[in-house]
Amino acid sequence: MATVTLEHVSYTYGVGTPFGIRALDDVSLTVRSGSITGIIGHTGSGKSTMVQLLNGLEKPAEGRVLLDGKDIWEDPKRMREIRFRVGLVMQYPEYQLFEETIRADIAFGPRNMGLGEEEIAQRVRDAIKFVGLDPALLDKSPFDLSGGQKRRAAIAGVMAMRPEVLVLDEPAAGLDPRGRDAILEGVCAYGKETGATVIIVSHSMEDMAAYCDDVIVMANARVFLEGTRDEVFSHADELLSVGLDVPQITHLMLMLKQRGFPVPDGVYTVETAASALRGLLQ
Amino acid sequence: MNQPFIHAKDLCFSYVEDDGRRVPVLDHVSIDIRKGEYVAILGHNGSGKSTLAKLFNLILEHDSGELVVAGKDLMSEDLTEDDLYALRREVGMVFQNPDNQLVATIVEEDVAFGPENLGVPPKEIRERVDRALSTVGMTEYARHEPHRLSGGQKQRVAIAGILAMKPSCIILDESTAMLDPHGRREVIDTFERLNREEGMTVITITHYMNEAARADRVIVLDDGRVLMDGTPVEVFGEPERLLAAGLDVPQCTALIHALRKEGIAVKGDPVTTEECADIISKLLEEKGHGNRHA
Repeated sequence: MATVTLEHVSYTYGVGTPFGIRALDDVSLTVRSGSITGIIGHTGSGKSTMVQLLNGLEKPAEGRVLLDGKDIWEDPKRMREIRFRVGLVMQYPEYQLFEETIRADIAFGPRNMGLGEEEIAQRVRDAIKFVGLDPALLDKSPFDLSGGQKRRAAIAGVMAMRPEVLVLDEPAAGLDPRGRDAILEGVCAYGKETGATVIIVSHSMEDMAAYCDDVIVMANARVFLEGTRDEVFSHADELLSVGLDVPQITHLMLMLKQRGFPVPDGVYTVETAASALRGLLQ
Repeated sequence: MNQPFIHAKDLCFSYVEDDGRRVPVLDHVSIDIRKGEYVAILGHNGSGKSTLAKLFNLILEHDSGELVVAGKDLMSEDLTEDDLYALRREVGMVFQNPDNQLVATIVEEDVAFGPENLGVPPKEIRERVDRALSTVGMTEYARHEPHRLSGGQKQRVAIAGILAMKPSCIILDESTAMLDPHGRREVIDTFERLNREEGMTVITITHYMNEAARADRVIVLDDGRVLMDGTPVEVFGEPERLLAAGLDVPQCTALIHALRKEGIAVKGDPVTTEECADIISKLLEEKGHGNRHA
Protein backbone atom coordinates (compact mmCIF):
# COMPACT_ATOMS: atom_id res chain seq x y z
CA MET A 1 0.00 0.00 0.00
CA ALA A 2 1.41 3.36 -0.91
CA THR A 3 0.16 6.89 -1.31
CA VAL A 4 1.69 9.10 -3.98
CA THR A 5 1.69 12.84 -3.43
CA LEU A 6 2.90 15.71 -5.59
CA GLU A 7 3.48 19.01 -3.77
CA HIS A 8 3.75 22.15 -5.91
CA VAL A 9 5.68 20.31 -8.60
CA SER A 10 6.96 22.21 -11.63
CA TYR A 11 9.08 20.94 -14.49
CA THR A 12 10.44 22.64 -17.62
CA TYR A 13 12.09 20.96 -20.61
CA GLY A 14 14.93 22.65 -22.44
CA VAL A 15 15.62 25.33 -19.82
CA GLY A 16 17.55 28.18 -21.42
CA THR A 17 16.88 27.09 -25.03
CA PRO A 18 14.36 28.53 -27.52
CA PHE A 19 12.47 25.23 -27.22
CA GLY A 20 11.86 25.55 -23.47
CA ILE A 21 8.45 24.12 -22.54
CA ARG A 22 6.84 24.21 -19.11
CA ALA A 23 5.51 20.66 -18.83
CA LEU A 24 4.20 20.89 -15.27
CA ASP A 25 3.23 24.09 -13.53
CA ASP A 26 2.71 24.01 -9.75
CA VAL A 27 0.95 20.66 -9.66
CA SER A 28 -0.29 19.33 -6.32
CA LEU A 29 -2.27 16.11 -6.07
CA THR A 30 -2.66 12.90 -4.09
CA VAL A 31 -3.23 9.43 -5.46
CA ARG A 32 -5.05 7.34 -2.86
CA SER A 33 -3.35 4.21 -1.62
CA GLY A 34 -4.80 1.09 -3.26
CA SER A 35 -6.84 3.06 -5.79
CA ILE A 36 -6.93 2.67 -9.54
CA THR A 37 -6.35 6.21 -10.71
CA GLY A 38 -6.55 7.43 -14.27
CA ILE A 39 -4.60 10.39 -15.61
CA ILE A 40 -6.01 11.91 -18.78
CA GLY A 41 -5.22 14.97 -20.87
CA HIS A 42 -4.14 16.17 -24.30
CA THR A 43 -0.74 15.43 -25.73
CA GLY A 44 1.55 18.00 -24.14
CA SER A 45 -0.62 18.41 -21.06
CA GLY A 46 2.15 17.03 -18.84
CA LYS A 47 0.91 13.46 -18.29
CA SER A 48 4.03 11.62 -19.36
CA THR A 49 6.32 14.04 -17.55
CA MET A 50 4.35 13.41 -14.39
CA VAL A 51 4.75 9.67 -14.85
CA GLN A 52 8.52 10.02 -15.13
CA LEU A 53 8.65 12.11 -11.98
CA LEU A 54 6.82 9.43 -10.01
CA ASN A 55 9.70 6.95 -10.03
CA GLY A 56 12.51 9.43 -10.17
CA LEU A 57 13.38 9.26 -13.88
CA GLU A 58 13.05 13.04 -13.84
CA LYS A 59 13.63 15.34 -10.89
CA PRO A 60 11.15 18.13 -10.24
CA ALA A 61 12.62 21.61 -10.77
CA GLU A 62 10.44 22.81 -7.93
CA GLY A 63 8.28 21.00 -5.41
CA ARG A 64 8.41 17.48 -4.01
CA VAL A 65 7.29 14.00 -5.00
CA LEU A 66 6.31 11.97 -1.94
CA LEU A 67 5.91 8.22 -1.57
CA ASP A 68 4.02 7.46 1.64
CA GLY A 69 4.87 10.92 2.85
CA LYS A 70 8.62 10.69 2.19
CA ASP A 71 10.37 12.76 -0.45
CA ILE A 72 11.75 10.30 -3.02
CA TRP A 73 14.76 12.58 -3.60
CA GLU A 74 15.60 12.84 0.11
CA ASP A 75 18.42 10.35 -0.34
CA PRO A 76 19.26 9.98 -4.04
CA LYS A 77 21.43 6.94 -3.23
CA ARG A 78 18.26 5.05 -2.41
CA MET A 79 16.62 5.82 -5.75
CA ARG A 80 17.14 2.21 -6.84
CA GLU A 81 14.84 1.12 -4.04
CA ILE A 82 12.25 3.74 -5.07
CA ARG A 83 12.30 2.33 -8.61
CA PHE A 84 11.59 -1.15 -7.26
CA ARG A 85 8.66 0.24 -5.29
CA VAL A 86 7.24 2.32 -8.14
CA GLY A 87 7.09 0.21 -11.31
CA LEU A 88 6.79 2.09 -14.59
CA VAL A 89 5.44 0.59 -17.81
CA MET A 90 6.28 2.98 -20.64
CA GLN A 91 4.37 3.47 -23.88
CA TYR A 92 4.71 0.57 -26.32
CA PRO A 93 6.72 -1.49 -23.81
CA GLU A 94 6.75 -4.43 -26.25
CA TYR A 95 9.64 -2.69 -28.03
CA GLN A 96 11.72 -3.09 -24.88
CA LEU A 97 11.75 -6.90 -24.66
CA PHE A 98 15.35 -7.96 -25.08
CA GLU A 99 15.91 -11.40 -23.59
CA GLU A 100 16.02 -14.66 -25.55
CA THR A 101 12.87 -16.04 -23.96
CA ILE A 102 9.75 -14.49 -22.49
CA ARG A 103 10.51 -16.25 -19.19
CA ALA A 104 13.98 -14.65 -18.97
CA ASP A 105 12.55 -11.27 -19.85
CA ILE A 106 9.89 -11.36 -17.13
CA ALA A 107 12.46 -12.70 -14.63
CA PHE A 108 14.93 -9.89 -15.38
CA GLY A 109 13.46 -7.42 -12.89
CA PRO A 110 13.06 -9.79 -9.94
CA ARG A 111 16.56 -11.17 -10.58
CA ASN A 112 17.97 -7.65 -10.44
CA MET A 113 16.29 -7.29 -7.09
CA GLY A 114 18.43 -10.18 -5.85
CA LEU A 115 15.59 -12.62 -5.23
CA GLY A 116 16.12 -16.39 -5.04
CA GLU A 117 15.37 -18.63 -8.02
CA GLU A 118 12.30 -20.16 -6.40
CA GLU A 119 10.81 -16.77 -5.61
CA ILE A 120 11.61 -15.55 -9.12
CA ALA A 121 9.85 -18.55 -10.68
CA GLN A 122 6.81 -17.93 -8.48
CA ARG A 123 6.70 -14.27 -9.43
CA VAL A 124 6.90 -15.08 -13.14
CA ARG A 125 3.97 -17.50 -12.74
CA ASP A 126 1.92 -14.94 -10.84
CA ALA A 127 2.68 -12.14 -13.27
CA ILE A 128 1.60 -14.07 -16.38
CA LYS A 129 -1.59 -15.04 -14.58
CA PHE A 130 -2.43 -11.36 -14.03
CA VAL A 131 -1.93 -10.47 -17.68
CA GLY A 132 -3.49 -13.67 -19.00
CA LEU A 133 -0.44 -14.90 -20.88
CA ASP A 134 -0.39 -18.60 -21.81
CA PRO A 135 2.42 -20.37 -19.82
CA ALA A 136 3.25 -22.28 -23.02
CA LEU A 137 4.66 -19.02 -24.40
CA LEU A 138 7.25 -18.66 -21.62
CA ASP A 139 9.98 -20.50 -23.46
CA LYS A 140 9.34 -18.79 -26.78
CA SER A 141 11.38 -15.94 -28.17
CA PRO A 142 9.73 -12.51 -28.11
CA PHE A 143 9.95 -12.67 -31.92
CA ASP A 144 7.41 -15.51 -31.97
CA LEU A 145 4.70 -13.56 -30.16
CA SER A 146 2.01 -11.26 -31.53
CA GLY A 147 2.08 -7.57 -30.63
CA GLY A 148 -0.63 -8.01 -28.00
CA GLN A 149 1.17 -10.96 -26.41
CA LYS A 150 4.45 -9.03 -26.29
CA ARG A 151 2.67 -6.10 -24.64
CA ARG A 152 1.36 -8.47 -21.94
CA ALA A 153 4.80 -9.99 -21.42
CA ALA A 154 6.35 -6.54 -20.99
CA ILE A 155 3.74 -5.54 -18.40
CA ALA A 156 4.23 -8.89 -16.61
CA GLY A 157 7.94 -8.06 -16.38
CA VAL A 158 7.15 -4.98 -14.28
CA MET A 159 4.45 -6.76 -12.25
CA ALA A 160 6.96 -9.48 -11.37
CA MET A 161 8.85 -6.87 -9.34
CA ARG A 162 5.65 -6.50 -7.24
CA PRO A 163 5.76 -2.71 -7.17
CA GLU A 164 3.60 -1.02 -4.54
CA VAL A 165 2.74 1.56 -7.18
CA LEU A 166 2.24 0.37 -10.75
CA VAL A 167 2.29 3.19 -13.30
CA LEU A 168 1.31 2.48 -16.92
CA ASP A 169 1.61 5.01 -19.76
CA GLU A 170 -1.06 4.22 -22.39
CA PRO A 171 -1.09 0.46 -21.72
CA ALA A 172 -3.90 -0.23 -24.21
CA ALA A 173 -2.83 2.04 -27.10
CA GLY A 174 -3.27 0.46 -30.51
CA LEU A 175 -4.93 -2.74 -29.28
CA ASP A 176 -8.26 -4.12 -30.46
CA PRO A 177 -11.20 -4.05 -28.01
CA ARG A 178 -10.57 -7.58 -26.76
CA GLY A 179 -6.85 -6.99 -26.21
CA ARG A 180 -7.54 -3.66 -24.52
CA ASP A 181 -10.01 -5.19 -22.05
CA ALA A 182 -7.69 -8.12 -21.29
CA ILE A 183 -4.81 -5.81 -20.39
CA LEU A 184 -6.81 -3.33 -18.36
CA GLU A 185 -8.59 -6.11 -16.48
CA GLY A 186 -5.21 -7.70 -15.71
CA VAL A 187 -3.83 -4.42 -14.43
CA CYS A 188 -6.85 -3.91 -12.18
CA ALA A 189 -6.58 -7.50 -10.90
CA TYR A 190 -2.95 -6.81 -9.95
CA GLY A 191 -4.05 -3.76 -7.96
CA LYS A 192 -6.92 -5.52 -6.21
CA GLU A 193 -4.97 -8.68 -5.31
CA THR A 194 -1.71 -7.12 -4.16
CA GLY A 195 -3.21 -3.93 -2.72
CA ALA A 196 -0.95 -1.87 -4.97
CA THR A 197 -1.83 1.59 -6.15
CA VAL A 198 -2.35 1.58 -9.93
CA ILE A 199 -1.96 4.70 -12.08
CA ILE A 200 -3.12 4.47 -15.71
CA VAL A 201 -2.31 7.23 -18.18
CA SER A 202 -4.69 7.19 -21.12
CA HIS A 203 -6.31 9.20 -23.88
CA SER A 204 -9.47 7.16 -23.66
CA MET A 205 -12.25 8.55 -21.50
CA GLU A 206 -14.17 5.30 -22.14
CA ASP A 207 -11.34 3.31 -20.54
CA MET A 208 -11.19 5.72 -17.59
CA ALA A 209 -14.93 5.37 -17.12
CA ALA A 210 -14.76 1.59 -17.28
CA TYR A 211 -11.76 0.90 -15.04
CA CYS A 212 -10.70 3.77 -12.77
CA ASP A 213 -11.87 4.67 -9.24
CA ASP A 214 -10.39 8.16 -9.40
CA VAL A 215 -9.59 10.39 -12.37
CA ILE A 216 -7.11 13.27 -12.68
CA VAL A 217 -7.58 15.49 -15.73
CA MET A 218 -4.52 17.45 -16.86
CA ALA A 219 -4.68 20.53 -19.09
CA ASN A 220 -1.96 23.04 -19.91
CA ALA A 221 0.55 21.61 -17.42
CA ARG A 222 -1.91 21.87 -14.52
CA VAL A 223 -4.54 19.72 -12.83
CA PHE A 224 -7.83 20.70 -14.45
CA LEU A 225 -10.13 18.33 -12.56
CA GLU A 226 -9.51 15.73 -9.88
CA GLY A 227 -11.88 13.42 -8.04
CA THR A 228 -13.74 10.16 -8.10
CA ARG A 229 -14.95 8.96 -11.47
CA ASP A 230 -18.50 10.10 -10.61
CA GLU A 231 -17.32 13.57 -9.65
CA VAL A 232 -15.19 14.03 -12.75
CA PHE A 233 -17.80 12.84 -15.23
CA SER A 234 -20.44 15.11 -13.67
CA HIS A 235 -18.32 17.93 -15.14
CA ALA A 236 -18.75 16.65 -18.71
CA ASP A 237 -19.56 20.13 -20.05
CA GLU A 238 -16.30 21.55 -18.65
CA LEU A 239 -14.30 18.66 -20.11
CA LEU A 240 -15.82 19.33 -23.53
CA SER A 241 -15.16 23.05 -23.16
CA VAL A 242 -11.40 22.47 -22.94
CA GLY A 243 -11.53 20.19 -25.97
CA LEU A 244 -11.30 16.88 -24.11
CA ASP A 245 -13.44 13.96 -25.11
CA VAL A 246 -16.02 12.43 -22.83
CA PRO A 247 -17.50 8.96 -23.34
CA GLN A 248 -20.12 9.05 -26.10
CA ILE A 249 -22.85 8.07 -23.64
CA THR A 250 -21.86 10.91 -21.26
CA HIS A 251 -22.05 13.35 -24.17
CA LEU A 252 -25.48 12.05 -25.19
CA MET A 253 -26.92 12.41 -21.67
CA LEU A 254 -25.44 15.91 -21.40
CA MET A 255 -27.18 16.87 -24.67
CA LEU A 256 -30.50 15.54 -23.36
CA LYS A 257 -30.05 17.47 -20.13
CA GLN A 258 -29.23 20.65 -22.03
CA ARG A 259 -32.43 20.18 -24.02
CA GLY A 260 -34.29 20.35 -20.72
CA PHE A 261 -35.01 16.69 -20.03
CA PRO A 262 -34.82 15.42 -16.45
CA VAL A 263 -31.87 13.05 -16.91
CA PRO A 264 -29.14 12.54 -14.29
CA ASP A 265 -25.66 14.12 -14.39
CA GLY A 266 -22.37 12.34 -14.89
CA VAL A 267 -23.63 9.17 -16.58
CA TYR A 268 -20.71 7.18 -18.01
CA THR A 269 -22.04 3.68 -18.61
CA VAL A 270 -24.62 2.45 -21.09
CA GLU A 271 -26.35 0.53 -18.26
CA THR A 272 -26.91 3.65 -16.12
CA ALA A 273 -28.14 5.60 -19.13
CA ALA A 274 -30.50 2.80 -20.16
CA SER A 275 -31.97 2.46 -16.69
CA ALA A 276 -32.46 6.24 -16.33
CA LEU A 277 -34.19 6.46 -19.72
CA ARG A 278 -36.22 3.33 -19.09
CA GLY A 279 -37.70 5.01 -16.03
CA LEU A 280 -38.73 8.00 -18.14
CA LEU A 281 -39.96 6.10 -21.17
CA GLN A 282 -42.00 3.27 -19.70
CA MET B 1 -17.41 2.56 -65.42
CA ASN B 2 -19.58 0.05 -63.64
CA GLN B 3 -16.61 -2.17 -63.02
CA PRO B 4 -15.57 -1.99 -59.35
CA PHE B 5 -12.20 -0.43 -58.52
CA ILE B 6 -11.30 -3.50 -56.50
CA HIS B 7 -12.91 -6.83 -57.28
CA ALA B 8 -12.00 -9.75 -55.00
CA LYS B 9 -13.64 -13.12 -55.30
CA ASP B 10 -12.80 -16.17 -53.17
CA LEU B 11 -9.49 -14.62 -52.21
CA CYS B 12 -7.32 -16.98 -50.15
CA PHE B 13 -4.00 -16.33 -48.50
CA SER B 14 -1.86 -18.21 -46.00
CA TYR B 15 1.45 -17.53 -44.35
CA VAL B 16 4.08 -20.24 -44.38
CA GLU B 17 5.68 -20.96 -40.98
CA ASP B 18 9.38 -21.82 -40.55
CA ASP B 19 8.52 -25.51 -40.36
CA GLY B 20 6.62 -25.34 -43.64
CA ARG B 21 3.18 -25.35 -42.03
CA ARG B 22 0.64 -23.15 -43.82
CA VAL B 23 -1.39 -20.84 -41.60
CA PRO B 24 -4.54 -19.68 -43.38
CA VAL B 25 -5.20 -15.95 -42.95
CA LEU B 26 -7.84 -15.17 -45.55
CA ASP B 27 -10.44 -17.74 -46.45
CA HIS B 28 -12.51 -17.13 -49.61
CA VAL B 29 -12.95 -13.40 -49.15
CA SER B 30 -15.22 -11.76 -51.72
CA ILE B 31 -15.47 -7.96 -51.74
CA ASP B 32 -16.16 -5.37 -54.43
CA ILE B 33 -15.13 -1.79 -53.75
CA ARG B 34 -16.38 0.94 -56.07
CA LYS B 35 -14.40 3.98 -57.10
CA GLY B 36 -14.98 6.84 -54.68
CA GLU B 37 -16.30 4.63 -51.91
CA TYR B 38 -15.40 5.23 -48.23
CA VAL B 39 -15.06 1.82 -46.60
CA ALA B 40 -14.08 0.89 -43.05
CA ILE B 41 -12.72 -2.58 -42.34
CA LEU B 42 -13.12 -3.87 -38.79
CA GLY B 43 -11.91 -7.03 -37.14
CA HIS B 44 -9.97 -8.15 -34.08
CA ASN B 45 -6.18 -8.54 -34.20
CA GLY B 46 -5.32 -11.47 -36.43
CA SER B 47 -8.63 -11.35 -38.30
CA GLY B 48 -6.82 -10.74 -41.60
CA LYS B 49 -7.54 -7.01 -42.06
CA SER B 50 -3.98 -5.89 -42.70
CA THR B 51 -3.25 -8.89 -44.89
CA LEU B 52 -6.22 -8.02 -47.08
CA ALA B 53 -4.97 -4.45 -47.41
CA LYS B 54 -1.52 -5.69 -48.38
CA LEU B 55 -3.06 -7.85 -51.11
CA PHE B 56 -4.90 -4.81 -52.46
CA ASN B 57 -1.70 -2.90 -53.06
CA LEU B 58 0.39 -5.93 -53.99
CA ILE B 59 2.75 -5.98 -51.03
CA LEU B 60 1.60 -9.60 -50.73
CA GLU B 61 0.45 -12.00 -53.42
CA HIS B 62 -2.68 -14.11 -52.92
CA ASP B 63 -2.71 -17.91 -53.19
CA SER B 64 -5.95 -18.34 -55.08
CA GLY B 65 -9.10 -16.51 -56.12
CA GLU B 66 -9.78 -13.54 -58.35
CA LEU B 67 -8.33 -10.10 -57.68
CA VAL B 68 -8.83 -7.24 -60.10
CA VAL B 69 -7.47 -3.82 -59.10
CA ALA B 70 -8.03 -0.73 -61.28
CA GLY B 71 -9.08 -2.91 -64.18
CA LYS B 72 -5.96 -5.12 -64.05
CA ASP B 73 -6.44 -8.83 -63.39
CA LEU B 74 -3.66 -9.84 -61.02
CA MET B 75 -3.91 -13.50 -62.00
CA SER B 76 -3.46 -12.67 -65.67
CA GLU B 77 -0.50 -14.26 -67.44
CA ASP B 78 0.48 -11.14 -69.35
CA LEU B 79 0.73 -8.84 -66.33
CA THR B 80 4.11 -7.14 -66.67
CA GLU B 81 6.48 -5.79 -64.03
CA ASP B 82 5.54 -2.29 -65.22
CA ASP B 83 1.88 -3.04 -64.63
CA LEU B 84 2.68 -3.99 -61.04
CA TYR B 85 4.53 -0.73 -60.40
CA ALA B 86 1.67 1.18 -61.97
CA LEU B 87 -0.82 -0.61 -59.73
CA ARG B 88 1.15 0.09 -56.57
CA ARG B 89 1.04 3.74 -57.53
CA GLU B 90 -2.76 3.55 -57.85
CA VAL B 91 -3.21 2.22 -54.31
CA GLY B 92 -1.29 4.13 -51.64
CA MET B 93 -0.98 2.92 -48.09
CA VAL B 94 -0.49 4.74 -44.78
CA PHE B 95 0.66 2.62 -41.85
CA GLN B 96 0.22 2.72 -38.09
CA ASN B 97 3.43 4.19 -36.75
CA PRO B 98 4.05 7.80 -37.82
CA ASP B 99 7.74 7.47 -36.96
CA ASN B 100 8.33 4.60 -39.37
CA GLN B 101 7.12 6.29 -42.54
CA LEU B 102 9.04 9.52 -42.97
CA VAL B 103 12.44 9.22 -44.61
CA ALA B 104 13.68 12.75 -45.24
CA THR B 105 14.87 15.43 -42.83
CA ILE B 106 12.60 18.14 -44.25
CA VAL B 107 8.84 17.75 -44.70
CA GLU B 108 8.67 18.79 -48.36
CA GLU B 109 11.59 16.53 -49.29
CA ASP B 110 9.77 13.65 -47.71
CA VAL B 111 6.65 14.36 -49.76
CA ALA B 112 8.82 14.62 -52.89
CA PHE B 113 10.41 11.21 -52.30
CA GLY B 114 7.65 9.26 -54.08
CA PRO B 115 7.35 11.34 -57.26
CA GLU B 116 11.18 11.60 -57.46
CA ASN B 117 11.36 7.82 -57.56
CA LEU B 118 8.73 7.75 -60.28
CA GLY B 119 10.94 9.99 -62.42
CA VAL B 120 8.50 12.89 -62.42
CA PRO B 121 10.08 16.08 -63.89
CA PRO B 122 11.30 18.53 -61.18
CA LYS B 123 8.82 21.26 -62.05
CA GLU B 124 5.91 18.88 -61.72
CA ILE B 125 7.31 17.47 -58.46
CA ARG B 126 7.24 20.99 -57.06
CA GLU B 127 3.59 21.35 -58.08
CA ARG B 128 2.59 17.97 -56.73
CA VAL B 129 4.34 18.55 -53.39
CA ASP B 130 2.77 21.98 -52.91
CA ARG B 131 -0.66 20.66 -53.79
CA ALA B 132 -0.34 17.57 -51.57
CA LEU B 133 0.80 19.63 -48.58
CA SER B 134 -2.01 22.08 -49.10
CA THR B 135 -4.56 19.25 -49.31
CA VAL B 136 -3.51 17.89 -45.90
CA GLY B 137 -3.20 21.39 -44.43
CA MET B 138 0.57 21.22 -43.84
CA THR B 139 1.81 23.92 -46.23
CA GLU B 140 3.21 26.08 -43.44
CA TYR B 141 5.30 23.13 -42.24
CA ALA B 142 6.89 22.47 -45.66
CA ARG B 143 10.39 23.34 -44.42
CA HIS B 144 10.05 21.92 -40.93
CA GLU B 145 11.83 18.87 -39.60
CA PRO B 146 9.44 15.90 -39.41
CA HIS B 147 10.70 14.76 -36.00
CA ARG B 148 9.47 17.97 -34.39
CA LEU B 149 5.90 17.43 -35.61
CA SER B 150 3.08 15.88 -33.59
CA GLY B 151 1.88 12.37 -34.43
CA GLY B 152 -1.18 13.67 -36.27
CA GLN B 153 0.96 16.07 -38.30
CA LYS B 154 3.41 13.27 -39.19
CA GLN B 155 0.56 11.09 -40.43
CA ARG B 156 -0.74 13.98 -42.54
CA VAL B 157 2.73 14.34 -44.07
CA ALA B 158 2.71 10.59 -44.75
CA ILE B 159 -0.66 11.02 -46.49
CA ALA B 160 0.75 13.93 -48.50
CA GLY B 161 3.63 11.69 -49.59
CA ILE B 162 1.06 9.22 -50.94
CA LEU B 163 -1.01 11.95 -52.62
CA ALA B 164 2.07 13.25 -54.45
CA MET B 165 2.12 9.91 -56.29
CA LYS B 166 -1.43 10.58 -57.49
CA PRO B 167 -3.14 7.38 -56.42
CA SER B 168 -6.83 6.78 -56.96
CA CYS B 169 -7.20 4.85 -53.71
CA ILE B 170 -5.68 5.30 -50.27
CA ILE B 171 -5.62 2.58 -47.62
CA LEU B 172 -5.13 3.59 -43.97
CA ASP B 173 -3.92 0.61 -41.96
CA GLU B 174 -4.74 1.65 -38.38
CA SER B 175 -3.21 5.00 -39.20
CA THR B 176 -4.90 6.68 -36.25
CA ALA B 177 -4.14 4.00 -33.65
CA MET B 178 -1.04 5.67 -32.21
CA LEU B 179 -2.50 9.18 -32.19
CA ASP B 180 -4.23 11.15 -29.45
CA PRO B 181 -7.88 12.18 -29.98
CA HIS B 182 -6.84 15.50 -31.51
CA GLY B 183 -4.38 13.93 -33.96
CA ARG B 184 -6.93 11.28 -34.82
CA ARG B 185 -9.48 13.93 -35.72
CA GLU B 186 -6.92 15.74 -37.93
CA VAL B 187 -6.20 12.58 -39.88
CA ILE B 188 -9.85 11.52 -40.19
CA ASP B 189 -10.85 14.99 -41.37
CA THR B 190 -8.07 14.84 -43.96
CA PHE B 191 -9.07 11.56 -45.54
CA GLU B 192 -12.78 12.33 -45.33
CA ARG B 193 -12.14 15.54 -47.25
CA LEU B 194 -10.14 13.61 -49.83
CA ASN B 195 -13.06 11.24 -50.26
CA ARG B 196 -15.78 13.87 -50.44
CA GLU B 197 -14.00 16.59 -52.39
CA GLU B 198 -11.54 14.68 -54.57
CA GLY B 199 -13.53 11.48 -55.00
CA MET B 200 -10.65 9.42 -53.63
CA THR B 201 -11.47 5.82 -52.77
CA VAL B 202 -10.71 5.48 -49.04
CA ILE B 203 -10.30 2.19 -47.21
CA THR B 204 -9.68 2.60 -43.50
CA ILE B 205 -8.75 -0.26 -41.22
CA THR B 206 -9.49 0.63 -37.64
CA HIS B 207 -10.31 -0.51 -34.12
CA TYR B 208 -12.32 2.60 -33.38
CA MET B 209 -16.02 1.96 -33.84
CA ASN B 210 -16.89 5.64 -33.82
CA GLU B 211 -14.48 6.10 -36.71
CA ALA B 212 -15.99 3.22 -38.69
CA ALA B 213 -19.49 4.60 -38.09
CA ARG B 214 -18.62 7.59 -40.31
CA ALA B 215 -17.82 5.50 -43.40
CA ASP B 216 -20.29 4.74 -46.23
CA ARG B 217 -19.80 1.07 -45.68
CA VAL B 218 -18.41 -1.22 -42.98
CA ILE B 219 -16.89 -4.63 -43.62
CA VAL B 220 -16.24 -6.90 -40.64
CA LEU B 221 -13.64 -9.64 -40.92
CA ASP B 222 -13.53 -12.50 -38.46
CA ASP B 223 -10.91 -15.24 -38.68
CA GLY B 224 -10.20 -14.54 -42.31
CA ARG B 225 -13.80 -14.44 -43.52
CA VAL B 226 -16.21 -11.63 -44.25
CA LEU B 227 -18.62 -11.73 -41.31
CA MET B 228 -20.64 -8.61 -42.14
CA ASP B 229 -20.75 -6.12 -45.01
CA GLY B 230 -23.18 -3.22 -45.06
CA THR B 231 -23.89 0.36 -44.08
CA PRO B 232 -22.86 1.41 -40.55
CA VAL B 233 -26.55 1.30 -39.58
CA GLU B 234 -26.86 -2.29 -40.78
CA VAL B 235 -23.61 -3.50 -39.24
CA PHE B 236 -23.92 -1.75 -35.88
CA GLY B 237 -27.55 -2.86 -35.81
CA GLU B 238 -26.31 -6.32 -34.85
CA PRO B 239 -24.27 -5.72 -31.70
CA GLU B 240 -24.35 -9.37 -30.62
CA ARG B 241 -22.53 -10.47 -33.76
CA LEU B 242 -19.96 -7.70 -33.39
CA LEU B 243 -19.31 -8.55 -29.76
CA ALA B 244 -18.92 -12.23 -30.66
CA ALA B 245 -16.27 -11.17 -33.19
CA GLY B 246 -14.33 -9.42 -30.40
CA LEU B 247 -15.46 -5.93 -31.39
CA ASP B 248 -17.38 -3.14 -29.68
CA VAL B 249 -20.37 -1.16 -30.80
CA PRO B 250 -20.60 2.61 -30.33
CA GLN B 251 -22.18 3.38 -26.94
CA CYS B 252 -25.23 5.08 -28.50
CA THR B 253 -25.96 1.97 -30.58
CA ALA B 254 -25.64 -0.17 -27.45
CA LEU B 255 -28.06 2.14 -25.63
CA ILE B 256 -30.72 1.94 -28.36
CA HIS B 257 -30.44 -1.85 -28.26
CA ALA B 258 -30.72 -1.96 -24.48
CA LEU B 259 -33.89 0.16 -24.66
CA ARG B 260 -35.41 -2.03 -27.37
CA LYS B 261 -34.73 -5.10 -25.26
CA GLU B 262 -36.83 -3.49 -22.54
CA GLY B 263 -39.71 -3.29 -25.00
CA ILE B 264 -39.35 0.43 -25.74
CA ALA B 265 -40.10 1.10 -29.42
CA VAL B 266 -37.17 3.20 -30.65
CA LYS B 267 -37.48 4.25 -34.27
CA GLY B 268 -34.40 4.66 -36.44
CA ASP B 269 -30.79 3.59 -36.07
CA PRO B 270 -28.67 6.55 -35.09
CA VAL B 271 -24.96 6.44 -35.81
CA THR B 272 -23.85 9.80 -34.45
CA THR B 273 -24.42 11.21 -30.95
CA GLU B 274 -26.61 14.03 -32.33
CA GLU B 275 -28.88 11.64 -34.22
CA CYS B 276 -29.26 9.56 -31.09
CA ALA B 277 -30.09 12.64 -28.99
CA ASP B 278 -32.74 13.66 -31.54
CA ILE B 279 -34.42 10.26 -31.52
CA ILE B 280 -34.49 9.99 -27.74
CA SER B 281 -35.65 13.61 -27.37
CA LYS B 282 -38.64 12.81 -29.56
CA LEU B 283 -39.51 9.74 -27.47
CA LEU B 284 -39.21 11.72 -24.24
CA GLU B 285 -41.48 14.45 -25.62
CA GLU B 286 -44.05 11.85 -26.67
CA LYS B 287 -44.06 10.63 -23.07
CA GLY B 288 -44.79 14.16 -21.95
CA HIS B 289 -41.39 14.95 -20.45
CA GLY B 290 -41.32 18.65 -21.09
CA ASN B 291 -38.60 20.20 -23.12
CA ARG B 292 -38.56 23.59 -21.49
CA HIS B 293 -36.53 25.13 -24.29
CA ALA B 294 -39.07 24.07 -26.92
